[in-house]
Amino acid sequence: MRHSFEVRIGPVGFRIGSDWRAPIAHLETLYRDYPKPLDGVPDFTVRLFARRPWRRFLRPSVEIGGDYMLPEAAPLPLRQGLLAAEMAMNLQMALGARRYLLLHASAVERDGRALLMTGISGAGKSTLATLLAARGWRFMGDEFALLDPATGLIHAFPRLISLKNDAIAAAEAAWPTARMGPLMPATPKGDIRHMVPDARAIAAMDVPARPALLVFPRYGFAPEIRAVQPGEAFVRMTQASTNYVALGEAGFRALTGLIAAVPSVAVDYPDGASAIAQVEALWAEL
Amino acid sequence: MHDSLYHGPPEGGLLVAPLDEFTAVYHRASGITHLLTEPAPQILAILGEGALSLDALLDRLGLDYDLADGTREALAARLAELVESGLVERA
Amino acid sequence: MSDETRSYQDPADHGSAAPSADGVGAEAVPTRRRVLALGAVTAGAVVSIRPALAQTVGSVLNCEIPVPDPGRAGSYIDADGKVVPARTKGAFPPSSRPFKGEEVKRAMANGSTLPGTDSERSRAYVKYIRRLQRGQGGFTCFASLQMPRG
Repeated sequence: MRHSFEVRIGPVGFRIGSDWRAPIAHLETLYRDYPKPLDGVPDFTVRLFARRPWRRFLRPSVEIGGDYMLPEAAPLPLRQGLLAAEMAMNLQMALGARRYLLLHASAVERDGRALLMTGISGAGKSTLATLLAARGWRFMGDEFALLDPATGLIHAFPRLISLKNDAIAAAEAAWPTARMGPLMPATPKGDIRHMVPDARAIAAMDVPARPALLVFPRYGFAPEIRAVQPGEAFVRMTQASTNYVALGEAGFRALTGLIAAVPSVAVDYPDGASAIAQVEALWAEL
Repeated sequence: MHDSLYHGPPEGGLLVAPLDEFTAVYHRASGITHLLTEPAPQILAILGEGALSLDALLDRLGLDYDLADGTREALAARLAELVESGLVERA
Repeated sequence: MSDETRSYQDPADHGSAAPSADGVGAEAVPTRRRVLALGAVTAGAVVSIRPALAQTVGSVLNCEIPVPDPGRAGSYIDADGKVVPARTKGAFPPSSRPFKGEEVKRAMANGSTLPGTDSERSRAYVKYIRRLQRGQGGFTCFASLQMPRG
């Protein structure tokens, strides 16, 4: 591993090793304002490697590895090396995180309270978080929200925001001065572009927030708001957490505690502006 | 069959979190979370006080609750589910 | 006496639901002789939460499914999707390359053929994939296709 990079995102430190310079160069540029791992000791290791020595040069193909690996991971072409690095960091978190209960949700904060948005791919978690952040909310993360079982607080994990297809233009419109990564067309998940979170999000990444509202957004429907019963919200969140089972008793207490403390609401919306309006109205009623 | 006793988990063996019509339960011995709806939480609460046969449980439920048109067969089905999930043992 | 169950609500509030903005789901405190439905014989009252392993793979990774799995490399696939010895009459040879999760998802969703195969062979491969069990190569990838990715 001739090239490497270290970065801390929220409470989690990563060390990324790579057989190629290019993905590391992207990471260095995009994460340049982020801190290094606490005391220089990372929590997770990521490796971007060539399966055979000659694959470093011939149709270079990036395999994903690290502390935690899945044998079925498919390699990505080198031009999508940044995506490979981000996916590999996600994988380490998804499989290895034990200190926090991972919720597959985006999170934004206002007045010390967190709004969580969770749902299937395409529901709008990343886009909504980006739009809300443009309207004064503090961005905490678009992929994982970290729930501390000891305190019930949400900790920020503000990675590069992963925008797909139509969301790219929407986010660029909301954040015209944002720093963006390379456009990667035709990845396995569609066109992808990464956006660097704003300076405020980076500066506040160590400030947790009390969860106050859990939203299940659905994009492409007439505007409607429905309460989600606690039982249903609980089950959906067990499926939206990659380490709920691994955390055992602590996970159960943390998740039932969250559901007991926080109202759950389904929000159907036709476009970003409608979603923002509905969310702001719900927040005002809390 | 008539006399087998149904045992709930030992003292401290369950974490119970009522949510709404559903109750979430964490079974410490297995680490599995189950979602229960009535009458399962009520059955577990009673079995927590001591093992009972099907008929004794039916009687006890009838004392605490109005069972309306609930049948012995229905209770047997609920117990079978609880046994299958590992929350109750039949001895 | 009933220390083995611990409620996360106010202990006096046996059945009370979580507070919510809409005030929904508040269950009455069970009093003596309230109605308790035992349910129909065929109904269910217990659901076990399955681990969200599939979420892990589906949301964070680009995965692929080899046919057959590496542990049985070289074996053939019969028309029912079962793994049979190499060169079994009427069975199909292994796939020359693993299939991407997206390719398998498409084939299962709209019946299109897997890339590089004809319709009979594709059907056999899809049946093989549907039969994958935990522990066999490709299972987690397959499972991730079944669950909505979030």
